[in-house]
Amino acid sequence: MALTRIRRTIRLVLGAALGSAVALLVSYCAFRLHFNLSTAGFVELLIVVLTALKLGFWEATGSSLVAVAYLDYFFAPPILSFHVSDPQNWVALASFELTALIVSRLSAQVQNQTEQAILQRCNTAKLYELSRSILVLKRQEPPGPQIASLIRKNIGVDAVAIFDSAFAGMYTAGGCTREDEELARSAYFRNTNHDEPGSHRWQRVLRLGSKPIGAMVISGIDLTPPIIDTVASLVATAIERARSFDKESRAEAARQAEQLRSTVLDALAHAFKTPLTVILTCTSGLFEMKTLSLAQAELIELIDQHSIRLNALTTHLLRMAKLDSTDIQLRREQVAIPELIGAILDGCSGQLFGHSVQVRLADRDLAVSGDRQLLAMTITELIVNAAKYSSGDSPIVLFVQEQDNRVVISVHNEGSFIDGEDRELIFERFYRSPASKHRASGSGIGLSIAKKTAQAHQGNVWVNSEREAGTTFFFALPAIVRREHESIAE
Amino acid sequence: MSPLQSKVLVVDDEFSIRRALHTTLSTLGFDIEEASGGEQAVSLVRTERYDAALLDINLPGMGGIETCRAMRRLSPQLPILMLTIREDADDKIEALDAGADDYITKPFHVGELMARVRAAVRRSQITRDDIDSVIVIGSITLDRDRRLVQKAGNIVHLTPKEFDLLYCLMSHAGRPLTHARLLTSVWGSEYGTEVEYLRTFVRQLRKKLEDDASKPEYLLTDSYIGYRFSDVTQAGPRS
Repeated sequence: MALTRIRRTIRLVLGAALGSAVALLVSYCAFRLHFNLSTAGFVELLIVVLTALKLGFWEATGSSLVAVAYLDYFFAPPILSFHVSDPQNWVALASFELTALIVSRLSAQVQNQTEQAILQRCNTAKLYELSRSILVLKRQEPPGPQIASLIRKNIGVDAVAIFDSAFAGMYTAGGCTREDEELARSAYFRNTNHDEPGSHRWQRVLRLGSKPIGAMVISGIDLTPPIIDTVASLVATAIERARSFDKESRAEAARQAEQLRSTVLDALAHAFKTPLTVILTCTSGLFEMKTLSLAQAELIELIDQHSIRLNALTTHLLRMAKLDSTDIQLRREQVAIPELIGAILDGCSGQLFGHSVQVRLADRDLAVSGDRQLLAMTITELIVNAAKYSSGDSPIVLFVQEQDNRVVISVHNEGSFIDGEDRELIFERFYRSPASKHRASGSGIGLSIAKKTAQAHQGNVWVNSEREAGTTFFFALPAIVRREHESIAE
Repeated sequence: MSPLQSKVLVVDDEFSIRRALHTTLSTLGFDIEEASGGEQAVSLVRTERYDAALLDINLPGMGGIETCRAMRRLSPQLPILMLTIREDADDKIEALDAGADDYITKPFHVGELMARVRAAVRRSQITRDDIDSVIVIGSITLDRDRRLVQKAGNIVHLTPKEFDLLYCLMSHAGRPLTHARLLTSVWGSEYGTEVEYLRTFVRQLRKKLEDDASKPEYLLTDSYIGYRFSDVTQAGPRS
């Protein structure tokens, strides 16, 4: 700051001295050529105006004062003395100085305005160039560093530091110091702009609307606040644009991955089901022909049964894999629980290993809003699980009741104690309790799907287990008031 | 019509499945012709007369659903059975909407397949002779003109909508009818998604017609797809 002032003063003094020297030279020449006071006065005025145009008002003022002295010395009688005898000459000298001051003031102003206009045009060009190049950022490279170096190149600053709040990332260009980076970060957290015109350092919070998304520090040249503000809003827009492109391409990638997964699963289903179809067509065809001996029929029946089992396993695994890989999309409808349970028990009677199921419904009118197929799968999973782990030929007890506006379905079986630690873990994907690993077959996905299904329905699933009393799985869903549609047009 | 005379077109792109079906079904008395793709199947249907077609839903080229539509256009009476792999109800609904008479999920038992084929063939002949105004299935008799339903000789009182629904189901006995189709044909074209209406009416009908409404013999549910009224060969013991 002090340095600039000294520099400016030296410039002023030198300018004034140059003006004065030229004035002296011209005065001497005019003196030798025997010009009178008025002619010499006009020539000197010309010098002062030129000084004002080229160097500035204060330089011209200095020169004009010196020029008055020369006019007095060389041309106002008595000449070669500073004494003025004729009062009219005082008036002439005073008029000269006044005219010189006014003219130099005006010309300096014009000059200044021209310079401002040039600067403005130059800045507009820079901003235009910056905005143009910011629009065509390379999509495959991160946007931050590109933006920083574009600002440096186009605005011509020494250093740029951009803080991006989304990734807490710092992007710099040019000779950026740690201090610049710190300032950018703190500008974002303080959420304030700050200018240091002396050291040519400008801090701006990058805002999108009123929401701060980062901050920027640029330093090195003198800039006006409107320009810095424009740069800041350009940067904010560019960052936001890059972010939304990024989001879009990630969503697109996820969609493609999902499509791929679904295609692979369909292909797998086809690959497994085709040979199974051939096998079962052959075995059941042989049965239908009714030409088999007893032993042949027995062997064919074994093939048949095991193919059916393999098919059931394949279907189950594929369905689980499909559900497991995606966010569950619910196809909601009103589901009456008693009917649902009836259908489920019909469907899974072959998978209960001889266990009977006792159903206790606290209320026959219970209903939930949910995806019928998913709910059926989940409850089936719980019942089949209970049958798998149930001890002896003890019955499975299915109890449905309403509690705090929730339908709670519990599936109880005797035995299969589950450790406290395992009670959470069994709902995790692929977890199989060490105790159960060798007892029953399973994929380790079923319960994780049950949990996912429950969550998708704003419900939950949990387990209680006691050594003596047995194990109970609970599946709770928000209840809805059951409406009968007797009133529709009949 | 005896199965000996039934001429069945098998359309599947898998050679092994065609071969297994061909060998089994011809041994069991069907006259089998094969097509490996939709285009071939459509051109066969254009020139030949078949009693039934077994059509795989996943075909390369024009695809099973499109083939089904084309075959239905060429031969409105031809019973078409779709063979599907996926459990997905959407596929089956799409197949039924495209004009298929029934569907069967792979893998299947040949016995069941034959029963479905026979039922479809029989139905197509009934349709050809035009539906009688009195339909008798098992112990249930429906008189369309008198709007009268009897069960084992006793009159069953039905509301008008219940009657319409029952008539719709019984006149297509053995065929699965989708929820949307039942809703639009009984309640009108502005309905189609109110599956819960349908459930309520089916419940009422079951209470009135079935011996045990929780184990229906006549009004069967095709899970996630719709309902079908059993034709006796499917519900009762197979002959």
